[in-house]
Amino acid sequence: MEGGSVLDQKLIDAVYEARQQSSDAGRPEAVAKVHAGGHLTARERLAALLDPGSEVEFGTLEGKGDRGWVPTRGGVDFVGTIDGHPAVASSTDYSDHGGGYGAGQLGRLFTLAHQNRWPVVLFSDGGGSRAQWLDQSVARFSRLQARYGGGSGFFEALAALAGWVPLAAVISGPSFAGHATLAAFCDFIVSTRGSAIGMGGPPMVEAAFGTRLKPVELGPVKMHEQVGAIELLVDDERSAILAVRAYLSYYHDLPSGKASSTADSIRSLVPDQGAYDMHRVIAALVDEGSFFELRPHFAVSVLTGFARMEGRSVGILANQPQSPNGGAIDSNAADKTARFVQLCEAYGLPMVSLIDAPDLTIRLEDGTEQPGMTRHHARPVRALHHRTIPLISIQIRKGYGFAPALLSGIGTAHRLPLLRLAWPTAELGVKDLYSQGFDDVVDPAETRDRILRMLRLTRRSLPAQRKRRPRDSW
Amino acid sequence: MERRLIDEAVAARSLAYDAARPQAVASRHADDHLTARERIAALCDDGSFVEYGVQAQARADASDAPADGLVAGVARLDGWPVVIASYDHTVYRGTQSTINQNKIERVLFLCIEHRWPLVCFADGEGDRPPDQQGGFGMWTGGGRIGLFDGLCELSGWAPTVAVVSGTSLDGNAAIAMFSDFVVATAASTLGTATARLPAQVHEKMGDIDRVVEDEPTAIEVVRRYLRYFLYDLESGDPSPAAGTIASVIPENRRRAYDMRKVIEGLADADSVLELRPNWGTSMVTSLVRMGGRAVGIFANQPLSRLAGAIDSDAADKMSRFIELCDAYHIPLVSLIDSPGFHIGPEAERGGIARHHIRTLLAIEHRSVPLYCVQIRKAYGLGPLVMRGSWGHLPPELRLAWPTVETGGMSLEGAAYLLKRKEILAAKTPQEARAIRDAYAETLRKRESGIRAGNNFSFDEVIDPGQTRDRIIALLRLHRRPEKTEKLTFLDTV
Repeated sequence: MEGGSVLDQKLIDAVYEARQQSSDAGRPEAVAKVHAGGHLTARERLAALLDPGSEVEFGTLEGKGDRGWVPTRGGVDFVGTIDGHPAVASSTDYSDHGGGYGAGQLGRLFTLAHQNRWPVVLFSDGGGSRAQWLDQSVARFSRLQARYGGGSGFFEALAALAGWVPLAAVISGPSFAGHATLAAFCDFIVSTRGSAIGMGGPPMVEAAFGTRLKPVELGPVKMHEQVGAIELLVDDERSAILAVRAYLSYYHDLPSGKASSTADSIRSLVPDQGAYDMHRVIAALVDEGSFFELRPHFAVSVLTGFARMEGRSVGILANQPQSPNGGAIDSNAADKTARFVQLCEAYGLPMVSLIDAPDLTIRLEDGTEQPGMTRHHARPVRALHHRTIPLISIQIRKGYGFAPALLSGIGTAHRLPLLRLAWPTAELGVKDLYSQGFDDVVDPAETRDRILRMLRLTRRSLPAQRKRRPRDSW
Repeated sequence: MERRLIDEAVAARSLAYDAARPQAVASRHADDHLTARERIAALCDDGSFVEYGVQAQARADASDAPADGLVAGVARLDGWPVVIASYDHTVYRGTQSTINQNKIERVLFLCIEHRWPLVCFADGEGDRPPDQQGGFGMWTGGGRIGLFDGLCELSGWAPTVAVVSGTSLDGNAAIAMFSDFVVATAASTLGTATARLPAQVHEKMGDIDRVVEDEPTAIEVVRRYLRYFLYDLESGDPSPAAGTIASVIPENRRRAYDMRKVIEGLADADSVLELRPNWGTSMVTSLVRMGGRAVGIFANQPLSRLAGAIDSDAADKMSRFIELCDAYHIPLVSLIDSPGFHIGPEAERGGIARHHIRTLLAIEHRSVPLYCVQIRKAYGLGPLVMRGSWGHLPPELRLAWPTVETGGMSLEGAAYLLKRKEILAAKTPQEARAIRDAYAETLRKRESGIRAGNNFSFDEVIDPGQTRDRIIALLRLHRRPEKTEKLTFLDTV
């Protein structure tokens, strides 16, 4: 056929035209509206998250209709790199037909993430499955869900990913029903002030209870921060994106790191008696400014977070003597601890545990607290018993009864901590420190060096060939 | 051998037996308790108990501490091996000492070696002063496995059961909190030397599976519990309630009913053991037998305060139950009548936005067969977590009863949202309700009942009376495999 080898320019132009329609430049009004609401557009979010020039978009065009190629609606899906490491990232786009689950390629990206062990970042604001689907038959509803997501395929994919690759979610705006579920699968949820999260959105709640609540009345993130349903609350979307990048950075070790500028003050941070701020002890032990706290306003008697030591990523677990109950561990603190141990175990981070544990407590329905033990308290001990990661524990002050076991395990025959140190301030209700089986009693000023020497003997655990257990969602 | 040596050993042993301690026995009986040895005898097959460490005591002359306050050994239950340990209240109030800690660790080791279940009567008052090495038995640093490490190791490997009858403090109470299954008598308390709570308070927090009247009942419940894990039966008779199972569901589709009656009707006669009935009450979790086979049933409870909506506690209860059955290869049946997850500000304060994922993680990681029966409501995410996904790990069977009604959310809710303008414009509440209900009925007719079978959302829309036989027929196709490797551990909550 004559000229058959030359591609018709019109065919190529049609692709660019269709693509233009879904770009920010192609829809200035929608973009202006998103900005007016204090948000970034879906594309701006991913541009801020992914390394420039690394991004590859999936599903820009949905298909070919009578009038040519049709752009995808409701979100954007990408793979790319974050600080040079591959990741999958997707955002809903509320301004585009009410938003969907990404651009419709999420299922595909989840498969890629699973095969390649790429982390996943989801911007998951939205109202769940589209309201107009409610009028559809169930069979059609299922088909729509299969196509646009939110259905069972997503959930089994995310369940398989949990504990296999790092999962992070950003919630900026209202996130209800299916969108909240997507985020809740994630290891790390960061939200912005004024956002809202809920299992059922305002329409569902109105339909059930007859009252119309605003999203922030129904599930304000300020409340979620306190009940533990999110890891971090920040001011705006750019801060949230920085937080995700910071969080994911701990999944890779750095070749070196600088001691903290407060390292020399470590002997003066812990009084013989009375409260002190464990944050300062952590800050003095770890690399300069490297502590990244998770769930800081939930179950505040225990601190959990990532840090670096000589560049090496570690999980930090500690009591907080400055908290209202002096660092005693209630059910929520036990859950927070158990979940954190599972997180470090799933992704091979060594742990450093700083113990000043006066008691285990039970919070009663009337809000009062008393000494006692529940099944929740067994959760961190079980998680620690089944760990394979190295653990270094430092008995800083109090270690009464069972409480230390929640931060460093039991350690008889199995899973002994790699190193068990005590400070001279250790207080155990028994005079003889030796009988408590510490490997050494050290000057606080020696502590960092001891930890580093032991860490140098261990390798970062290689990715497990098989998932051991999904890390818990709670 | 010198006869005297043999006689001495036997005599030393018999000093620890009840017959040699009439006063101690009388004091237990006066308090309505069985002695440690009577408990063990009541739990196991006659004459099957083989004791470890009967002559062990804290000091050579410690005649006041027979067996050092812990009777422990191996026995049989219906012929199957079980390990039993009981603290002895008459010896320093059942406290924990170095020697009796060593004893319980000795039998724990047998459990780990052989996958034998452990039953521990865990009443007692914690550390025995001045014996500092007792109590939690931590930090011994040596080669042996400690009590709580041992309990962790058994989690998901062999069943662990704790019975609390009396006062259980500190290290003794901790044994209960580390066990898979906890039975307490109504008069029991748990806590520390300074603070205690009645068993009923712990039950409401999900810490105790069953609170029962007295010790003999507790022992009977333990025997029942262990049998599901130890063996299957060749067959089982239907319960008398089987014939009337369809009548449990009210004709008025908005009326609640007791899901326990459905479970009763599906299970073999007298085979139901409900776990944690007074916690997370919108979910019912029961071990049962069907055609003799041990099965775990989890079900929404329309009769509960939340009408079956899953809140954080119910989500935890369900996830843990699936893990339990999965660890011991007990097939699962889910009975679904789900309005979805609990929504609204109260639910959010309970952390449901994140807790609900535990149900999905549990059901998507199961390795046991799952048989689903959709009884009435299948709204939103609710039925999905009860049956899991249909992609990589579909349920073995998806049955629906003719009462099934399906939708993205409740029919009334969907009708309200779709007719919101008309409803808000209505002149009277009655008129508003009529508009909503009429449209809900339109939606219901579209996809509910037999129509749900037409689009193959279910394998069959079945006569409720045939449900039991259908599930049993499929159960017979599955053998209970012998797991040789511990794959995971159980969460305690």
